[in-house]
Amino acid sequence: MSQHAANEQDVPADQPLDAKDGHVLARMALMYDRMDPVPSDLVERLQFALTLDALKAELAELQLMPAEAMARSAGTDAVKTLTFTSDTITTMITIAADGPDRVRIDGWAAPGGGVTVELRQVATKMHTQADADGRFVFDDVPHGMTRFVVRAAGGDDLRQPVITPAVEL
Amino acid sequence: MINAEAEERTLAFRAGAAFERYREGESDAMGELVALLTPILWHTVRAQRLDIASAEDVLQTSWMALVKHANAIADPRSVLQWLIVTSRREAWRVSRGEQRMMPQDLGDEDLGSGGQPALEELVVRDATDEVLWRHVAELPERCRQLLRVIAFADRPDYAELARSLGMPMGSIGPTRGRCLAKLRSALATDSQWEM
Repeated sequence: MSQHAANEQDVPADQPLDAKDGHVLARMALMYDRMDPVPSDLVERLQFALTLDALKAELAELQLMPAEAMARSAGTDAVKTLTFTSDTITTMITIAADGPDRVRIDGWAAPGGGVTVELRQVATKMHTQADADGRFVFDDVPHGMTRFVVRAAGGDDLRQPVITPAVEL
Repeated sequence: MINAEAEERTLAFRAGAAFERYREGESDAMGELVALLTPILWHTVRAQRLDIASAEDVLQTSWMALVKHANAIADPRSVLQWLIVTSRREAWRVSRGEQRMMPQDLGDEDLGSGGQPALEELVVRDATDEVLWRHVAELPERCRQLLRVIAFADRPDYAELARSLGMPMGSIGPTRGRCLAKLRSALATDSQWEM
């Protein structure tokens, strides 16, 4: 650095920050943003993780369907069925197109008479209550990463809610 | 007064305001806080030579710690500093292969990889960054870490942030400090750098 000594006197460390410092720092922020961007969905994933933690929910698992069934459902065009299981509840949802960019969800929770079901996306939250047989419907749902939170009927706070992993609608 | 107005718009101030709303029961304010602070925390952690997956884990652990200790933080306006200190400490722990501070990990036999994490080589992706990167890369590592984080904050917050990063008083803000002076001098000698 000794060859820079003369210039270091030109830009003294003990002087107040000036507009050129602001410019260099702004350029650094742009540079790091391009060289090492925040992963595109990290904010979403962190937000989801925090709501989970706050809920202390029971996590349901997505049951993978056999390849044969997958192939058949792909043939029926845009109707997809997913099953989530946890220790206390099984939830099945069918996703069907509802207009050009919306979907309709038909769900069934067992045991699920009267449970409340919440649909969560980054910018969307919907609630509904299942009927006595545990059936529920969400209309006019945007596409996107989605989780479902199932809560016991009658505001029974002693039972923890069940939350599904995020699935793409 | 212009200065007071400027101060109210800083990252630290806005973070404090969102965190205060969260503590008062507005649960959506946490999501806002995550969106606001993830960039600066990302660069804080990545400057500590963590790979992408570990950096994501460190951020998640740090945010969870914030939720858990939300009411133990004396001054909500210090939430940015609290997160910087926490994520740096956690990054340090992870980079040494030590146990995480998450309670569910206690008793876990897997203590991590143990070795040094591979440093993700940063490469310039945009030609306009080449000159700047050449000189930033020449800085001592502590300076590079400091300026990388500072670049994502606002001037009135610099001094406090430098302290959160474990830098001595006067590292940056209100004066320029040694690191930025060094970079400015190096850029001044480079005819390819245009202000």
